Amino acid sequence: MSWLSRLTPRGPGGRSSRNVAPSSPCTADPETCLMVFENHWRQVSWVLEQQDPSSSSDDLTAVRNHTDQMLCLLAEERPGECEGPPGAVTSGNVPPIGPILDLVVSENVLERVVQWHLRRGLDPDSQGALLKLFEMLIGQSQQPLLQHKAVLQPLLGLLGACAEPQLGCPPSLENSLVLLLNQICVSMARAPAVLELLFRSAPAQHGPTNLLIFTLLVPFIHRDGAIGQQARDALLLVMATSASNQGVARYIAENSYFCPVLATGLSALYSSLPRKIEVRGDDWHALRREDWMGVSSLVLFMNSLEFCNAVIQVAHPLVRRQLVDYVHNGFLVPVMGPALHKSSVDEMIASTTYLDLFLRSVTETSLLKAFLRFILMHRHDNDTILDTLLTRINSNSRLCMVSLSLFRTLLSLNCEDLMLQLVLRYLLPCTHVMFSQRRAIRDTDLYGKSADKFLSLIPDCCRLSTAPSAEREEEPALWGKVLNSPSSESPVHHKPSTPSRLALFMRQQSTGGGPCTPSPTETVPSSPGAGPNTPLSPDSPMHPVPEVLDWESGYLEYLRDARRGVELCSWACRNWSAPYDGEDPSPNAAPLPPPPPTSNPSLAMFPEHFSFQQSGSTSPGQQRAAVVAAARSEWSSTERDSGEWDVTIGENSCISLTPRTKKRSLQRDVHIPKPLHLPPDSASLADPSAVPHLRSAPTKGAQQAIINGTLLGGQGDRCRDSQDGGMEVKKVKRELGEQRGAAESSRGLPPHKPSHTQTLSASLLSEPRTNSSNDRMTLRAAASSPGSGPPEAMLFNQSEAVERLISELLDGAGPEEGGQQGPGDSNGQGISIEAFTQELRELEDRVRERSKGVGLLRQLEETTRDPHSGEPPPPSPLDADLMGSGVVAGVVGVFRPLGQTSTQPYTGPFMVVLFAKLENMLQNSLYVNILLTGILGQLACYPQPLLRSFLLNTNMVFQPSVKSLIQVLGSVKSRIETFAASHEDFPAMLKKAQRYLAARGKVDWADSPMGMPTLRRSDALVKSRKPSLGDLILRHTNSPTRARHAAQLALAHVRDGGQSLHSALFRGGSGASGLEKQAEALRVKNAVYCAVIFSEFLKELAALAQEHAVSMPFLQSHDTEE
Amino acid sequence: MNLNPFWSMSTNTGRKVRERSSSSALKANFCQVHPTHKRAERQKNRIFKSSQRDPHTLKRSDSEEQSGEQQQQRASPARPSFGKKQLPSIPKNAVPITKPASPAATAQLANGTHASYGPFYLEYSLLAEFTLVIKQKLPGIYVQPSYKSALMWFGVIFIRHGLYQDGVFKFTVYIPDNYPDGECPRVVFDIPVFHPLVDPVSGELDVRRAFTKWRRNHNHIWQVLMYARTVFYKINTMEPLNPEAAVLYDKDVQLFKSKVIDSVKLCNSHLFDQPKMDDPYAISFSSWNPAIHDEAKERMFTHKRRPEDHHKGLQVSGLSWVKPGSTQPFSKDDNPPLS
Repeated sequence: MSWLSRLTPRGPGGRSSRNVAPSSPCTADPETCLMVFENHWRQVSWVLEQQDPSSSSDDLTAVRNHTDQMLCLLAEERPGECEGPPGAVTSGNVPPIGPILDLVVSENVLERVVQWHLRRGLDPDSQGALLKLFEMLIGQSQQPLLQHKAVLQPLLGLLGACAEPQLGCPPSLENSLVLLLNQICVSMARAPAVLELLFRSAPAQHGPTNLLIFTLLVPFIHRDGAIGQQARDALLLVMATSASNQGVARYIAENSYFCPVLATGLSALYSSLPRKIEVRGDDWHALRREDWMGVSSLVLFMNSLEFCNAVIQVAHPLVRRQLVDYVHNGFLVPVMGPALHKSSVDEMIASTTYLDLFLRSVTETSLLKAFLRFILMHRHDNDTILDTLLTRINSNSRLCMVSLSLFRTLLSLNCEDLMLQLVLRYLLPCTHVMFSQRRAIRDTDLYGKSADKFLSLIPDCCRLSTAPSAEREEEPALWGKVLNSPSSESPVHHKPSTPSRLALFMRQQSTGGGPCTPSPTETVPSSPGAGPNTPLSPDSPMHPVPEVLDWESGYLEYLRDARRGVELCSWACRNWSAPYDGEDPSPNAAPLPPPPPTSNPSLAMFPEHFSFQQSGSTSPGQQRAAVVAAARSEWSSTERDSGEWDVTIGENSCISLTPRTKKRSLQRDVHIPKPLHLPPDSASLADPSAVPHLRSAPTKGAQQAIINGTLLGGQGDRCRDSQDGGMEVKKVKRELGEQRGAAESSRGLPPHKPSHTQTLSASLLSEPRTNSSNDRMTLRAAASSPGSGPPEAMLFNQSEAVERLISELLDGAGPEEGGQQGPGDSNGQGISIEAFTQELRELEDRVRERSKGVGLLRQLEETTRDPHSGEPPPPSPLDADLMGSGVVAGVVGVFRPLGQTSTQPYTGPFMVVLFAKLENMLQNSLYVNILLTGILGQLACYPQPLLRSFLLNTNMVFQPSVKSLIQVLGSVKSRIETFAASHEDFPAMLKKAQRYLAARGKVDWADSPMGMPTLRRSDALVKSRKPSLGDLILRHTNSPTRARHAAQLALAHVRDGGQSLHSALFRGGSGASGLEKQAEALRVKNAVYCAVIFSEFLKELAALAQEHAVSMPFLQSHDTEE
Repeated sequence: MNLNPFWSMSTNTGRKVRERSSSSALKANFCQVHPTHKRAERQKNRIFKSSQRDPHTLKRSDSEEQSGEQQQQRASPARPSFGKKQLPSIPKNAVPITKPASPAATAQLANGTHASYGPFYLEYSLLAEFTLVIKQKLPGIYVQPSYKSALMWFGVIFIRHGLYQDGVFKFTVYIPDNYPDGECPRVVFDIPVFHPLVDPVSGELDVRRAFTKWRRNHNHIWQVLMYARTVFYKINTMEPLNPEAAVLYDKDVQLFKSKVIDSVKLCNSHLFDQPKMDDPYAISFSSWNPAIHDEAKERMFTHKRRPEDHHKGLQVSGLSWVKPGSTQPFSKDDNPPLS
């Protein structure tokens, strides 16, 4: 609604403000005005009646001057107050029309003027003048004008001229044209009858394009700046006005290019987005509004996406459905699909992040459905998008973080279809539990057994206990501290004498409104209560309470947030089709879920990526050039070649050129030995550059070996991809053809049009610099943050360490490259769009000439298109055919049955990968752990007994092959304990880590009020669950400025916290001795942070388990609809 | 949304009873509810997720609807002064029922054995029990945990037919503090009802016969409440607590009936008495006062339960395109063909 509410005040507002000014001169006597008008008209008509075709420029000037005067008079004329003058044509109008308008109508003044102009040939000058005149007239007129044919016809004539191919609308006049169209739409929105008039009056003259306004506006949809905005506003008004008009809606859907242009425009805009998102902050994992506001190409894309969203919100169902289909078939499938499957890690990161951003931005259910359908059902190279995304969680890089972030967004939708595909379908058959346990699925944990179990898993080494302070003996103090909330003004909380009061306090806080900081008061050293045992014994003040650091918020906070989470989630799920309680849907009827892949795809996948990466980073330019020439440029591109612009628009076009030069590759080679850009906390390394030098030589050798292999593999890939690309082109062509008819069906829309690619490439070649600078988006996040270690500090094994090093090296090379290119992406982003609109114009011209007799063909094409729009889950024969390789389809057929033979219970790839990741917690980076536990926490909020019992019922007995959450947590616990035992300074490090996290969280928290993304505010609110430290820490550090600010604050607050933690942790590595020690320091750091997160996570889970037992179900919404 | 049948039922029965009681012209014994009480109630309600949110109505003064009519004034600005009057009056160990401060219990906790249900788990267990009660939608039975202790619940039972028809009996449930490992909860009527299983002196109902051994996971408080209701419909004279009633029922039903009628009348005549327990959440009755109750009733009928901090903008959530009965995503055809 934001769009419309933004629009509506603008129209009348602008109008009324304008009315003020001319009202004073027009106080002149209407009689006089009429006389003046008649006088002007006499002189004009004298000129007009000259039959001489070659009228002089004097004539033109005279006509223009007189017309100016006349139209001013007309605009200022007020509707008549008395009965209309004799001969008034319009009888229906309640206020009689003024005498001037009457004259205009009866003498057909405007029509004659415009026709005269058109006859003598419209030069841009007078065309502009006329546009401005009409704009003034419609915008300022005191009486409704468009109802009158005598006004409407000449206006349409003028617009028709603007739409004509030979005349067209010169770029200099575009502003006037769009402004005029905007004005027309505003008055149309005010008087919807005009739409009908516009619609009906046009066909005679303009053939198929009978909604001229519409046709003229469409090319500006994706335009940058004010003009684009005006066009979009105007179109939206048309949409809203036509929402109830079947005829217009049908016209828009069937005769205009609105939907295809809008949807495929997204594709074009997408292709100009940066391929690589360059971030310094190691915690960055998602694009926030502040992040993308500065990236013009992204702003452009988001504008169009928001526009799509708005159109779908207001438009007629016919248009809505068509647009959604086009977004799916014209943007998601042909562009997002391949983009998500790019082979380079950077591009994967970028596309995943974009998808996440899009999902967070879309608010219309039907559009969201298209996105979800794409993610869940669309198969790209055999795998659903979902499968692909799932495998990436297992990577140990930023790719994992952005993937987790995407899944967090997905989970927050509480979508049944998604949850079904992700988890529930694997749990439905109930084969994961012992048969005797099936009944227990629905059990609620009445007595806190599960919570107890979770809390008991908090490692002893994480319970920092000290001697009880005297203060703690006093209960009021105790409670006051547990509930240490800034929002509670009353200094003294009376302690509750019973547990119920405890909950009462909790509740009271929840309504406190203000954000409750996690009791950050450093001055209060002993905030008890958060320990697993302590909050449970409010009545036993004498018993020694393990001390919990002041930063730690109480368990009560977790309970409160768990309650909110469970409540919101079960409210959101109230309309699901089934309760998923182990009985409905019936376990016996449930279809067998897909079996686990025979070979772990995630394992198979990543080496591949890394090898790609390496080949990209070091392959000699010649080799690359050969590759480019030989095969698809798109697929030969690697993330390291961010400067290249190989496929601008045509993701699918086979003939795109790459302006990549050898020189550049050579430059990159030069970059490689440049100093590592080490994260600041490792600045203690005496000579960072020494390390890379040492390491780079052997790596290079290793890479050479890989390169050959990769290239071979790459060739195969490319072959497949080329087929794939071909398929996409065909598909798009067909869809467009449907719109355009047979004549044009051989040509696709610009992005997919081979012939066009040449122009594009040419323009790109001419401006390679701007493009490449545009290609990179640099987000400098908390570079100076004390917490920023190397982002993905997982050094499991040597090879990964090497890869990390390489990527770091290359990251280091990044900025210099950027420097060469010149900063910013201010220019360049327009190129593809420009070309796109140009192309569009051509198309429209063509269409204008096109005969209407293409219905038959269209029908034919519709039938061929059906399989795509019908979204059949399995690839249809046609799909297979399109893929150009029966082999691929065959593989599906062979692969699945093979796997089916294994009857091992399988809880699905999502659970498996999450648990695997969780089990590795100790090695995960802090931020991965925060995201990971956040997602598991989100999952644990779901009220469906199948899921709830799987995650939270610790008494369930699962099949031996099924790993339970509690098992995984148990193994993490023992790992932490082992680690703690082997580091005698563990308690000190833990304390520091806690303090650092608290301080950082505190900064973020204080920051939060402004930090809400505007697109889906509530969503963000839901996500801002405080207790999962995760969100706390990550929420605001995504934005570069804020993060830096936060980091500075954090630094100030915990100078001896984070900083010295790091120095302590890096003490070992401070010598120049190098990588080993650095890796060890990282390992220690990750483990210590992990211990902190782990304990908090257990509290979160315990709280969730408890809240599930006391939550009330919501009823279905048919009786809850407001 | 929360046209929870449980609550709506309560209003219906309430009306029925109200008509009767007002027609019997009982004195309007209006129970004044202290503002602090109101706040306290509000808080308490939230704990127990009472679904009614209804400002400006004093539930205590409602005639019949007890737990169902609890309101909370969400917008009340009075929070800072919360409990000023209440809390000092509740001494630290005033609640005999929840006093797990015994050294034994704490020692256990310190040992890290979580087996002894600490008061914290106890709290949630009772919350869960209360949730179960609500879910059971027991006809004619309303309970409300006490403000002071979660181990004490106030209740009222409406008998709709049978020998005890029109009876409105207030009672209190006492839950043992070692719940759920202890004895079964006790049910004590405010006024000893004339009934073979109700102690004529203490008013305690013989619950134990139905729950000889309280087994956690199997026995729940709603079952006790259910039992308390059943005894008025199916009269059992075996091993009575009130032998007189038992004998009469077996030997002289007519006399038994008239005694029951007297007892019902007695109970109903004390309906508007101040609650026996000085507890803000104790159930009290008042006669119908349109100024207060009409609005409350209206709100009860229109109230829709929402998550506590439910935001308007949350429209994009809870999506589902799964056809009921199917486990295929996007199986629902939500795009009916357009003309």
